[in-house]
Amino acid sequence: MPRLVHGSYRIRYELDGPANAPAYVLVNGLTQYSELWSAYREALLARGFRIATFDLLGQGESDKPALFISQEDQVTALHLLIGELGDGPIFLSGISFGGLIALRYAIEHGERISGLVPMSCFAELSPQLLLLGNALRTGLILGGTSYLQDLLLPMNLSDQWLKPLLDKLDSVKRQGWLVNDLYALQNLMESFLEFKPLTPRLSTIAVPTMILNGEFDFLTPRAMHETLRVEIPDSSLVIIPKAYHAFTLEKSALTADLLARFADDVLAGRWHGNRAVWIAPEEPGGELAPFPAGYDHLRAIPVRAAPP
Amino acid sequence: MSRFLGPLDSEGRIPSHQQTRIAAFLISAHGALARQYAIALPMRIEAAWQSELNAQFYRESEIVSLLQRSTSWVPDMALPYMAASWETAWLPKPVEGIIDQPSALPIDLATRAHAIHAGIRPAALLPVDANANDPFVLALRRIEFESGRLLQAQIPLLKSDSLVPFRDAVSTALERRHAEVRKLWADALEGVGIIVRQER
Repeated sequence: MPRLVHGSYRIRYELDGPANAPAYVLVNGLTQYSELWSAYREALLARGFRIATFDLLGQGESDKPALFISQEDQVTALHLLIGELGDGPIFLSGISFGGLIALRYAIEHGERISGLVPMSCFAELSPQLLLLGNALRTGLILGGTSYLQDLLLPMNLSDQWLKPLLDKLDSVKRQGWLVNDLYALQNLMESFLEFKPLTPRLSTIAVPTMILNGEFDFLTPRAMHETLRVEIPDSSLVIIPKAYHAFTLEKSALTADLLARFADDVLAGRWHGNRAVWIAPEEPGGELAPFPAGYDHLRAIPVRAAPP
Repeated sequence: MSRFLGPLDSEGRIPSHQQTRIAAFLISAHGALARQYAIALPMRIEAAWQSELNAQFYRESEIVSLLQRSTSWVPDMALPYMAASWETAWLPKPVEGIIDQPSALPIDLATRAHAIHAGIRPAALLPVDANANDPFVLALRRIEFESGRLLQAQIPLLKSDSLVPFRDAVSTALERRHAEVRKLWADALEGVGIIVRQER
């Protein structure tokens, strides 16, 4: 497995697909590891893309700094990976914590990418997210990685996904438990202790941006994605029906299809973000529908939008 | 070589020679911490950190006691040599870049404890079909779980504001300790057919 070198740390990455193809770089969320993108690897390779994934510092098979893991170091690791991809078009996507790293990258190195897809993402810590993050960190400290997984699974995945797995959740959790070390996860969570909101810098993101948000995501709810939509000029918000925070695990075929279509639209010059709000289809290949005019997309019940 | 302990016997128990090697290593590591906490433990508890020191001492002692009782011991000819190298590794060492002697000793102890509690994951060696009710299996799970909690005493000290001027020195010392402990652990396991993931 190839490694990138950042100072004394090594970052494990995987790269597949033809060197001259447009590339997708996918960034993991907390507790994740590169193999979780395998469905995306297959789907996007079949659509003619090159795929790059990596384990964040502190996760999977990348090195785990013992005491501090700064988000700047994660951005540097991502920059090193993107440096491996040559001069062709590069699309960057990340989920949750990985989405935040992708946002930071787009702010600092936007010229290197052709498109951005933040998923289940946030630019600042709302009081709810701050307190949830603190509670998850306490859960990790008191109950270990396994307990953190116990909290994240029902928060982030649907009943439909969980129900057939209820009897084998230990095996679902096992690989994540094996490759993640408590101290490293704690270091990643504590990288937020010095977190400064990205909101004031979002408007500098000039690349086409498709923001994906699960309909039922309550860890990073609609309002957090709305900040991205309002601040990033060439963006659209796409709501994934019946999806929770970890929809990349649950709806990989649909999400991979949306990623491919976004990149195709950008490359063909068809993309116009217009800060529009869309509803994704329930199945891959279906049509996106505009959010009903006149209704407030920030509400869970049909409420007329306030006049602009 | 395997990433997991075994082959298990018909009752899902870990082979005795693997139990012996792992228990000997963990007793050496946690026993050394218990001894060093005992030396550092003051006669009277007068500050919050002294309460933590007291708790750490007893938890380390409990780990040693638990392993002594739960392990199926067999003779291991390599142990005398290995144990000598382990015990040497646990000896206090100066922390490069910290010339303030009163700070250096607690930092050295904290880096060693952090490396042992964070870097050694005995439960991650258990295969999925290990007998959950076997005392040794239970002991490894308990030690890994408790290590995650014990670690919470080292993290605030090593990340504390008072050590900000020495952050690089502390980080370097800690990374060195982690590498040292990981290597000792990997070497100990290699002799009983186990290969563990080693960053770096």
